[in-house]
Amino acid sequence: MELTWLLLIELVVLGVVAGGVGSLTGIGGGLVITPILTLVFGIPIHQAIGTSLCCVIATSSGAAASYVEHRLSDIRLGMTLELATTVGAVSGSLVAALLSREALAVLFSFLLTYAGATMVRRSLKAEAVAQEEAEPYQIKRLPLGLCGSGAAGVISGMLGVGGGVVKVPLMFLAMGVPFKVATATSNFMIGVTAAASAFIYYTRGDVRPLVTAPTAVGVYLGAALGSRLMRRTPSRWLIVLFSFIMFYFAMVMVWKSFHGGFAH
Amino acid sequence: MLGERVLTDMTNQPTEEKARSAIALILRYGSLASTLLMALGLLLILVRGAVATPGSGLPILPRMLFAGLAHFDPLAITESGVLLLLLTPIFRIVAAAVSFGLEHNYRYVLISLGVLAVIFGSIGFAMQ
Repeated sequence: MELTWLLLIELVVLGVVAGGVGSLTGIGGGLVITPILTLVFGIPIHQAIGTSLCCVIATSSGAAASYVEHRLSDIRLGMTLELATTVGAVSGSLVAALLSREALAVLFSFLLTYAGATMVRRSLKAEAVAQEEAEPYQIKRLPLGLCGSGAAGVISGMLGVGGGVVKVPLMFLAMGVPFKVATATSNFMIGVTAAASAFIYYTRGDVRPLVTAPTAVGVYLGAALGSRLMRRTPSRWLIVLFSFIMFYFAMVMVWKSFHGGFAH
Repeated sequence: MLGERVLTDMTNQPTEEKARSAIALILRYGSLASTLLMALGLLLILVRGAVATPGSGLPILPRMLFAGLAHFDPLAITESGVLLLLLTPIFRIVAAAVSFGLEHNYRYVLISLGVLAVIFGSIGFAMQ
């Protein structure tokens, strides 16, 4: 791929938007990067997923550092669940290599739809969650947590997302972890999960530096910017707007899978 | 039951200050350094044009990467930034393992080594 100033700027802007949206809405930026790279930039979906995985590391690292410092991430729980999540991520990325572009696109659309619906639902009861304070807690159902983290890892490795969509509700609803701690711990785990599968994409040649580097630089800037703005909760209509964009991407990806038109 | 013991141990959280500060340090500066490397490489590519790299069919082998870095090749600088980004989470596992070891918390040393084993095992498998 020939790198021009225009392409560089477009990819950096994509990254800034994805990183900003990711840290403002709490839904990982990976969900936006893959559809835009495939649908708008015409990049093969396997390479888009490889790029997205690297961006997931770039978004999560900065946020995870401050969560860890502020003792919000439960690092012991995180590292224990990482055992399962990395096994899942590695299997997911090995399976992705065997799947066709169309199959991956359809699976990705399911994930987009699910994540969009989660965002809408969460925005409707945002106050209830925001009021909760971090307090002592007892971790429940560790075996279930390990299985769920394994599944989150598979989704992450196969579709190039962080997997927080699965991990946060799993820890919060099933394992008795407070919502804030669950978010911070999920974020802490995401970098390792993504790195495990990113290396497999890298060895296959699906991490192209000229696509990945500009997007990742943008994501880093966007995430830093987003966390500055995060003091204010994003308005409800903004979240609903983003989720409708996700539904739209999901539909286009399904349509393209059945009518051809994905880049080779 | 083993599961129960793990659960109580995880919620007790005695000393883990070393692990926390080491992890935060690596995450923060690892991602910053890799972003700067990638940005530098990209700007050089656009300003100077990429020097012909033997590994433009990527991924480049580490040996070529170091040769490229020695020649200040923009593509090699960009790629090393990407690699540093991928390595940052791995460095943080190593740091956690070492600091848990210093705090005599051997269960978490084992867990960290287990995660590393999964990652390196899969890289070895994928390279074949």
